[in-house]
Amino acid sequence: MNPEFERNLWLELTTRRVLLMIGVLGLIFAAAALVGDLWTPSGAASSLFYLIVVIWGSRSAALSVVGEIRDRTWDGQRLSSLGAGTMAWGKLFGATIYNWFGGAICLALVLVNLVVHQGPVTALIELVFYVGIGVIAQAAALLASLIAIGRRQSHSRFEVFIYQMVGIVAAVLVYYMWSVADPVASLVKHQVTTDVVPWWGVAIDARIFLLASICVFAGWTLLGCYRGMRLELKMRNGPLVWLCFLVFMGVYVAGFDAFLSPDLKSWDAVALRLLLAGTTFAALTYVMVLLEPKDRVHYRWMEGQIRHGHIANALSGLQAWMMSYAAAFAIAAALSFWLLRDLQAAAVGQPLVLATMGFITRDVAIFVLMQTLPGKRRGDFAALAILFALYVLAPAILTGLQAGGLLFVFFPQLPSPNWLGVIAAWVEGLGVAGLALTRLALTDREGKAVPA
Amino acid sequence: MIEVEDLVYEYPTARALKGVSLKVADQTITALVGPNGAGKTTLLRCLAALEDPYSGRVVINGLDTTHSPREIHAGMGYLPDFYGLYDDLTVRRCLTYAARSHGIASALTAAAVQKAAGRVGLLDRLESKAGELSRGLRQRLAIGQSIVHEPRVLLLDEPAAGLDPQARRDLSTLLTALRDGGMTLVVSSHILAELEDYCSEMIIIENGLIAGGKAIKVRDDGRPRYMIELATARSDLRDFLTAKGADVAEADQNHALIVFTRNAGARAKLLRELVTAGFDVAAFAESSKALEDAYFAQVGRRP
Repeated sequence: MNPEFERNLWLELTTRRVLLMIGVLGLIFAAAALVGDLWTPSGAASSLFYLIVVIWGSRSAALSVVGEIRDRTWDGQRLSSLGAGTMAWGKLFGATIYNWFGGAICLALVLVNLVVHQGPVTALIELVFYVGIGVIAQAAALLASLIAIGRRQSHSRFEVFIYQMVGIVAAVLVYYMWSVADPVASLVKHQVTTDVVPWWGVAIDARIFLLASICVFAGWTLLGCYRGMRLELKMRNGPLVWLCFLVFMGVYVAGFDAFLSPDLKSWDAVALRLLLAGTTFAALTYVMVLLEPKDRVHYRWMEGQIRHGHIANALSGLQAWMMSYAAAFAIAAALSFWLLRDLQAAAVGQPLVLATMGFITRDVAIFVLMQTLPGKRRGDFAALAILFALYVLAPAILTGLQAGGLLFVFFPQLPSPNWLGVIAAWVEGLGVAGLALTRLALTDREGKAVPA
Repeated sequence: MIEVEDLVYEYPTARALKGVSLKVADQTITALVGPNGAGKTTLLRCLAALEDPYSGRVVINGLDTTHSPREIHAGMGYLPDFYGLYDDLTVRRCLTYAARSHGIASALTAAAVQKAAGRVGLLDRLESKAGELSRGLRQRLAIGQSIVHEPRVLLLDEPAAGLDPQARRDLSTLLTALRDGGMTLVVSSHILAELEDYCSEMIIIENGLIAGGKAIKVRDDGRPRYMIELATARSDLRDFLTAKGADVAEADQNHALIVFTRNAGARAKLLRELVTAGFDVAAFAESSKALEDAYFAQVGRRP
């Protein structure tokens, strides 16, 4: 047996705790049965599954590594000979085994009810959904904690709460996505539901499409945990997996062009798909530049590798935000050329796309620049504050002064006034990027040793 | 066994190691000493392949920490200065987990646990929970966890901190036995007295650099250190001793710390020559503070 999983079994599944879980759940189900129509045992079981596996389980998963750091046992585990995969699944399913034990009892009740009333196929689909949402929530919480550990921020109760919330938010997104295909949702939850999802021009059964999506995203989240664990165990991650994820996300999101076509009638399907893929890459750039450690030592290491001609080494040190930015840039360039096929679309679209890339360059450079500042001024909160000023405060002031025509200086405008927006965006982008690179070079201290 | 070449380690705001080079021979116990904040723990963590160097390289048993960290981890034992234990697990389960997570097969685990528990004197506590142990016993358990897989290299960061005199003596005996059993140990501390009993080499780290540039041999059974004390000051003490074949580590007009052969006849001859030459010898004895003497000989005594 996986030693890490076994250790968690010793700690989590003690006889006393097992009996406690069975007793408490039994009492709740009995109470639900007595209440009658208002609160059925299977309804209570479904709610308890979310409570135990998603909400509580996210916390257990978030604590699986952070708790070790807090209890000073993590270095010992890092020095074990367990592989990253063994450690990741041993923690993810070991630390949450008590939650899954309680969840399994609840799920059994839900599934029995579904088999009796809606048949085994529906029960099987719901089983996949319940397990999927639990895995995604817990894996997202673990992944958030691993990312934070890489940033050397991981210990406080508040931070653990944040990681737990990441898991819960991921579960809520999955839940609402699933509701789109749930015929009951339109009646009970007043949501718009559909039987089919148009994707890459093909109408696919919504339940099958969403179930497959949940499974694939659960797989990516688990892969993210594995790679995060590799980093913690001092193994190096190459850029290939993130590039594959970018390709997947680009293809996946680009398939939803049918949802955009009513709003952008002058854009053809290719342009719309490029726009969706580029927007996805841009969003991933922002997410990853915020999440990843912007370590000056690492950037100096990369610069040293390039300076000494070790290009392959330097590429192996590429961070996810760098690759996402490059992908967004490539898609933006492709889209700009593609739009030239229709001058009407190009007149509006090209300046917008190019200005957007300029502002993304500026924003990313702000995050890097803020890491080069000394003392307490350094950090992502400072970068977020500047972005808040650029995107909210300054535009609000300009609008108040009846100078809304100058908003193109701060963010892309639709319709773009003219190429001035592009020039402003790139002057700002290149200016901040130059400043960040200069600051990084200036903070290189005490010699120029060849990095390992 | 352990080779470090021009190791540089940087934190975002400071360079902790500034080009450290050293070699640690097989089956030795090396003291890593220096003031607080000198870089001892950072160096140990680099040796344990827990931190990536900015430049330079660390080679353990022929494996580079940058390229083969997991292989190094598998053959390494490490006791951090602030370690934790699984308080709700019994000593047996703590050791079992350590053994299994270091790749010891299930069939061999029980024997490995018994051996480790025996080495650290916890055989009678195997069913006690870790959280119920005293500080000294917890220290033993932590060491037991780090040696259960019979590592070739054992790194200990401040292992004797907070231990009572008996526990320190037990620790000294254990570390010596591990060395004699084939392990190579590096022990960090800023309290020299802790290390006197068992260290044969010493690396002094100051401000991110190795003082003197290399490890110092502080204990040589064939050529120990002797302290000579004069009742009457003589300015030619150093020159006289050097002329007689002694390696003078430190000397002033009243004292000298020399490295000299253990041969009793040779020592008697040197003492006789000192007395014949008119030196007013008040004491001539093997130094019981070899490490401390070597440390201050290297870094100089400060007022």
